[in-house]
Formats: sequence, structure tokens, C-alpha cells
Amino acid sequence: MFRPVKLTRLTIQAPEDQISAVMAILGDLRLLHLIRVEETHLGHLGYVAHIDTPLLEHYDRLLARANRLLRDLGPSGPSPGIRKVPRPDKAVFRLEEELALIEKEALEPLERKKKAKNAISEHEALIARLHLLAPIKIDLDRLYNLRYVTWRAGLIPEENLDKLEQSLVDTYHALIPIGRKERRVVLLAVSLKEDEEVLLRALKSAFCDPLELPPGIHGTIEKVLDRLSAEIEYLKTEFAGLDTKWAELARKYGTRLKRLREEILLARQLLKAQAKFGQIDHTYLLTGWIPVALFEELRKRIIKATSGKVLVDQVEPEDIKEVRSGILKIPILFNNPLLIRPFERLTTLYGTPSYEEVEPTVFLAVSFLLLFGMMFGDVGHGAILCGIGYYVFRKMYRYTDYGIILMECGVSSMIFGLLYGSVFGMEDLIPALWMHPMEEINRFMMMSAFLGIGVISLGLILNLINVIRQHRYGELLSTSGLAGALLYWLGAGLVVRYLLSGGLSSFELISAKVAAGTLIILMILQKPIRAVLLRYHKDKKWGRLPPGLGGTILESFIEVLDDLLRYLANTVSFVRIAAFALTHAGLFIAVFSLADMVQNVHGGGLLYWVTLIIGNVFIIALEGMVVSIQTIRLEYYEFFSKFFRGGGKPFRPLLEEE
Amino acid sequence: MILAAARYAYPNAKVRALRSRRLTDQDRHFLLEARDFSSFLAYLATTPYGRELSDLEGELPDPGVLERRLARPLMEDYAKVARALRGKRERESVLALFSRFESENLKVLLRAVFSGLGKQAVSHLLYPLGTLSTLPWDNLWACDNPAEVADMLIRTPFGTALKHAVPQFEAQGRLFPLEMALDLSCFQRLKQAVSGLRSRSDRKAAKGILGPYVDILNISWTIRLKIHYGLSPEETVNYSLPGGELLGLSQLHRLARAEDISSFLEQIPRSLQREIGEVSEWEDFPAYLETWFLRLLARLFMGPPFHIGIEIAFLLEKEMELTALITLIEAKAQGLSLDKAVKKLPRQFSGAAHV
Repeated sequence: MFRPVKLTRLTIQAPEDQISAVMAILGDLRLLHLIRVEETHLGHLGYVAHIDTPLLEHYDRLLARANRLLRDLGPSGPSPGIRKVPRPDKAVFRLEEELALIEKEALEPLERKKKAKNAISEHEALIARLHLLAPIKIDLDRLYNLRYVTWRAGLIPEENLDKLEQSLVDTYHALIPIGRKERRVVLLAVSLKEDEEVLLRALKSAFCDPLELPPGIHGTIEKVLDRLSAEIEYLKTEFAGLDTKWAELARKYGTRLKRLREEILLARQLLKAQAKFGQIDHTYLLTGWIPVALFEELRKRIIKATSGKVLVDQVEPEDIKEVRSGILKIPILFNNPLLIRPFERLTTLYGTPSYEEVEPTVFLAVSFLLLFGMMFGDVGHGAILCGIGYYVFRKMYRYTDYGIILMECGVSSMIFGLLYGSVFGMEDLIPALWMHPMEEINRFMMMSAFLGIGVISLGLILNLINVIRQHRYGELLSTSGLAGALLYWLGAGLVVRYLLSGGLSSFELISAKVAAGTLIILMILQKPIRAVLLRYHKDKKWGRLPPGLGGTILESFIEVLDDLLRYLANTVSFVRIAAFALTHAGLFIAVFSLADMVQNVHGGGLLYWVTLIIGNVFIIALEGMVVSIQTIRLEYYEFFSKFFRGGGKPFRPLLEEE
Repeated sequence: MILAAARYAYPNAKVRALRSRRLTDQDRHFLLEARDFSSFLAYLATTPYGRELSDLEGELPDPGVLERRLARPLMEDYAKVARALRGKRERESVLALFSRFESENLKVLLRAVFSGLGKQAVSHLLYPLGTLSTLPWDNLWACDNPAEVADMLIRTPFGTALKHAVPQFEAQGRLFPLEMALDLSCFQRLKQAVSGLRSRSDRKAAKGILGPYVDILNISWTIRLKIHYGLSPEETVNYSLPGGELLGLSQLHRLARAEDISSFLEQIPRSLQREIGEVSEWEDFPAYLETWFLRLLARLFMGPPFHIGIEIAFLLEKEMELTALITLIEAKAQGLSLDKAVKKLPRQFSGAAHV
């Protein structure tokens, strides 16, 4: 939990005819972070990557077909999980056959449905066009049968009408406005047949949107509209029938199609992963990181499946030269229990821990919930947050992690609500197990500062662990190392002692001054002393001082001063916990006062409750957001900044979702 | 009068200051007389346009790239003038004038989208519009086809015109209707902005400049559409710009039907005929028309100063200076003789050849 999963470097060498079997096993196992062979020293030995492009293209085509069917059928429900990953080269035949079988039954009704849909759209468009022409109440046959005159109907922008009129001034014509639509004039333009070209040119250049009527329309517009309406009703009935058939197909094949799609996706991912493999002639080589605990199982399965034709090797990270020199980073695979796991998102938002660092998610989760609960302590509000979190968890699959965080924050709020004795801001319903924040402001602020000292101290301890793990011993005497931590604890101890007992003895004061002075001098001088020692190491004799030593001392002095002030500021920063808890309580007072005022003015009990409900919603939304931001701020700036360096590389499992 | 003075004191002072950065007679003379393209650029670097050439190194720049670079001061002046104006309606008239450059960039964008080119390939053809343009350019460049561009612009001043032009674009399968719609929408907006001006003196001054401006554009367009594109009279009239003062639709129609230069000149109003009566070739018209228009603008600066006309006149004058400069760049880049170059320029510019 405090460290990422222990990984080992895996190398597999397989003959070409066995690579698909190996891939299927790796796919089953999933927890493999592949390294591109070309980028390792093996790349220089001629191992280069090749993807089976024809097979991948085959899968792409299958995916397109499956997607099309799924889009048209629209089956509901989640996708089924695939337990056994298929061997891409073999599975393609089965997938092809299964898909063809479904298509055979589904494509014909699909085409019919499409045709019916198109016919309905065309009829509706024609009806809309005819409605525009309806005011002229003309028999279309008379228009079609004109022998010496030609006509066109269309919409032209209002501002172009004058220009159109002028452009046709030399020809016999008539422009008959029929109506208006969206700043355009519905127009019937008529001219002699011999001037048809001129009319068409003029209409085109006046941005005419022609109202074209298909051949075969006869009679008055009114009659045509009646006929078309009847036809559309018939088409809609036919469409509804096809819809039923379609729903039946969706029920029958929906789950199967989804499974097929999942299998196709997995196979494609496996094939794409080949880009990271190396290949010489008929031998494949692949390498990557895998949890130590899984290595033996993997090795046995591969050897069994390939009758020992495949070589599976393991190298410990510390034996890899590139890892030791820092060129190659070991990826981080988090290892947290279910309730802590969602907080990994907050950790990675700040940075990915390196392999040697303490994995801070568990500390983040605990302190986050503690701080949030303290600032947002209320049984009612906590219950609502919990409810919202549960809804998100159950209904919004993409945000499950946030649902869990919300639920946990809700529980924390409820616990602190019990400690504060607050239910929807009412402090007389249940007794406070600890205190009412508004009644003991000074004590609450003191507690917040103490909590701050605790959190910062934890950060300092974690930093010391990181310093030792990463062999950065030079930092022990710096402000961020052991010397800084001791000075901080000395100061914090004195403050706590003073606040609890009301005074300090002269012995305590003198001892503290001596210790603090020694530590500060150590912190200031550690850098210049290191510079002098480095010079000696270089020259192999004592003599000249390194250049710029005075500057280094001054710089060191300022740095120490700056860091010590930052410790103070970071601790004081935690007083905001009390401030926001008091704001929470203060907002309740405001809402209750407002509700009382509304009740006094309008004399209605209903308005009182409406105001209370709106006020509570407002507090949950506003305070919830503000408190979350403040908590994250405390975590990142006050806590993480003490020990967390990041710069690690996240573990990318083999079949990570596209 | 006092109110107008208060309203226009600052913008006019700004315009006068900006106007002092025009090319001087001496600048024009040396630019015209430059031996070749490189000595032309060497002199241009000493003028207010020099800032645009400062980071050009090595080989001679492509004239096309240079043209758009030199437009930057004009774009900045638009922003400065728009900022200096207090009233929303006055600012709208400047923005409407500015929208012509947005429309030019939209045409480039439409051509790029239509032919499947990316922004990178045509970026040298774009005006550096700066912050004055509020169109969603990034989203527009992400469009896959011209109809999608038209959809995205629906809530902008170009929206309705483009939407109405889409059916013709689809029917003809070429961008011409959309490009014409963009031009027409700019001038329709300009016409509305001028009629929307609050004070009568503003409206009169703006119409007094923009009316003749539209007239000279309509004459030039009629020649272009008729002679170069071979369009019929009815099409030429329908593509004419709204808002002209001297030429009505019937006159434009007569111009479009004119068979030769002399009959074309006969249809031009008398006041204009006096200025361009000497024209003997179609390609000489633009220079004559611009000369006449620049004279009209110069007269405006000598009259009463407190109206929007000063700002509009300055911007158009600056634009014509840029147009002349571009003509000269092309002439120098092609190695044309001074005589040939001079014929393409308004007299205010070409007159400097003999200073």
C-alpha cells in the first residue's frame, strides 16, 4: 500500500509460429507494461518491430461492420467482459463467421428501414415545399402544360428582389411573390420559353434556392398535399413494423454483437502491441515490466502452451544498468485497496511517484477525508453527499471513482456532523460529541493548527524516508531534510508547550535557543562546506577556496530564511480548516435568518421550508466546492510539497482501453 | 456641434496622429524610382512599413507573403480607431468596414476547406486580423466542408447571406456563390450600419464617402465580371453591391449591357465622367476611379472635422495606400517598367514619380 507493486523485467523470445499463443496468454494476464524493443539495446542488435498489417486491416474492417450493426440496432446494457483473450490469427475466422451470420439476418431489414426512413424524409420535404406554394392555389397540371411560357419557383433573399427585377428588365417576365420565409421571398418567376436561359441566369445570380417538384405530381396543390399526407401515414406504419422487427433483432443479437466487438477490440490491441516487439527473421522478442508475483504463473503457462519452445527470462531491476543509471524508469503500478484507489486520480494529478518514493495515496486519502469532514461537518449534508456519490457510482460508469470519493467524503462529513452535533445546520437535534465550532472558535483554531503541525510532520517523516531510499544523504542537513525537520519540531514543541502550560522555563528557552542556533548554522553552512570539500576532492590539497563562496553563503542564508518562513506559513495555513468550518456554520445562520424573515413578512410556513431547502442546496453546492478546493490546496501545497517529487512513469497495461 | 466636438475630439486627434504615418511624397518618389525589387524593399524598410520587414532575412520575400504582412499596420489602425470611438453605432460602422478583411480571410478558408488544404498551407494568404475579429477561427479551420463553415457562422453577420447561398453552392459545385455572398453581406452590413448612425451629420458624412466608394467598386466589378469573367448583364446586376450613391440599379444594368468603352463611359454619371473621360482601356479604369475617390477623401479632411467621416476616410485612404503599395510590389517583383507601373496607380501616388 505504501509502495507500488514490485515489478520485474520480463523478456520473451518466441519463434514466429508461437507468437500468437504467447500474445493470447499475455492478453489474458493483462498486467504487462511493454517496452519498445527498438528503444532498448536490443534494438541496436537488429530487432525491429513489424505489425501484421493485413490481419490488423482485416480486424479494422470487422470492427467497422460490428460498429455499424451496433449503431443501427442500438442494443442497451453494458458490454460483457471478455475473460479469455482470443488468439488474433485464429479468432479472426470465427469472428468473421459470426458477424456474417448476424449480418445475413439483420442487413435486409436494415436496408428496408433506411429506405422507409428516406422516403418519409423526402415526403416531408416535398410537403414543406408545397406548403410554401400553397397560397397561389393553382393546378400544377396547368403550370406544367404551359406551351410558350416557362416558370420557376424558389426562395430568394429579400434584399435581392429589386436587383432581380432590374436584371430582367429587358425580357418579358413576371415575378410573383407568394409568401415569406426566414427573410426570403417565396417567388414564382415566369418568362417566355425563349428567355428561359436568361431567367435561369438571373435567378441563379440572385441566390435563388429553387423549390423543385418531382415529376408525376398532378392536380391542385391542396389535393397533392392530401395524397402525400396519406402516403406518409402508410410509410410511418410500415416503419413502425420494421421497428418492432428491429427491436427483436436487437434483443436477439445485442449482447452477442457487443461481445464480438470487445473481442475484435482486444485482438486489435494485441496486434497493435506488436509494434513494440522486436523481430529478426522468424524470431520475435518482447520485453516489459510485470508484477513479480505473476512471473512464475506466466512462465509456466507459456511453457505449457508452447511445449517449451519459448524462452521466458526475468531480470531484477537492480541488475539492469540503465535502471541503475536512471536512464530507464520502472513504471508505477499502484497497489491500493478499493476505497483508497479512487484517490490515485488526485495523486497522479500532482505527479506520478517514482519507483523508489513512498506511494502517498493512502496518506492523501486519509488526510483528505479528515480535512474535508472537519470543514464540512454536518450529518444531513454528509448524507446528501453520500447519496449523490452512490448515484454517480451506480449510474455513471465513467465517474465511478468520483462517486466513491463523494460517498467517503459524505461519511466523513456525517462523522464530524455527529462530533459537532449538527443536522442540516440544526444544532439542537443531537448532542455534540466533541464541540459546537461556533461556540469554541479559539479552541477550534488551535486544533486546526495542531492538525497542521501533524500533517506537515508526517510530510517531513515521509521525506526522510524518501531521502534514505533514494540515497540523497546530502539533503539530510538541509531545511527540507533532517535538520529542517528537527528545527520545525523544536519550534512546534515549544509552541504546543506554551499553549498548553502557559509559559516556558528558562532552561527550556536556553536549550531551545542553543539547539535552534546550531541547526540554523548547520543548514546555512552545509552548502558552502560541501563546496569546499568538493574543491579539496578535486585539487587533492587544502588551499584555495572555491570561487563565489561568499555568494554561496549568502544564497544559503536567504534560502534557509525563506524555507523557515514557509514552514511557518504552511502551519498557519491550516487555520483555514477552522475558518471554513465556521463559514459552514455561519452560512447556516444566514439561511435560518433569511427563512425567519421570509416567514415574518409573508406569514407562510411553506415559504420558510422552501427557503431552508434552497439555502441548504446552495450551501452544499457552494461550500462543497469551496471546501474541496481548499482541501486539495492543503494537500498539494502544504503536504505533498514536503516530500513528493514525482517524475515517475505510469504503468500502461498491455490491453489498456483505446 | 458642441456635443459632436466632444464626441469626436479624441478619435479625430487619434486619426490625425495615425495619418501622419502615411507615406510622404518623397517616400512615394523613391519607391517608384527604385531600380529593382531589392532596392524597393531597402527603401521601404526606412518608411513606417519598415517594422513589417524587420525580421525578413536572406532571400527576397515572396510578394504574396509581403502583401499580407504590410496589411498589419492597417489592421492595427482599425483596432485603434474602433477603440477610440465611444458610441456603439459609430464603432459598428468601422467594424462593418473591417468585416471586408474578415470576409477575405473567410474566402481563403473556404477555398482551403474545399480543396482539403490545412491552415498551414494558406496562412500566408491571410490578413493579420488581430483581436478585432471575434469570429471562431479555430473552430472554423476544423470544419470539413464549406457547408459546415456556413453553419458555424450562422450567428455572425455573415451567417444569413452564407446560408442563403449554400443551395446555389451545392447546385453549382463551386465556391463562387459563397464568395459573392460574403462580399454582399459585408456591404449590406455597412449600409445598415450607416443608416443606423445616430446623428444626421454622421449619416450624411458616412454616406458621402461610402456611397461613392461603392460606386467605384461597382464600376470596377462590372468591368471585371463582364470583361474578365464573361458574365451576362443580368448576373452582373445581381452581383452588384448595395449602397451606391451615383449609380442606381438601372444605370448599372445599362453599364453591364454597354458594348464598348465609349458607350460604357456614356452611362457613367456626369460628375464622374469629367474625371475619367480620358480612359481608353478597360484596365485603366481602377486607377482613374481611385484617383477621383482619393481626391474626394482629401477634400473631406479640409472640411468640418467632427463626424464619423474622418475616421472612415482615413481608413479607406490608408487601405488605398496599401493597395497602391501592393501594385507597386507586384510591378517591381515582375520587373515592369516605370511607365507600366505608373499606369496602374492612382495619380496621387504616381504623380510622385516626377517630384
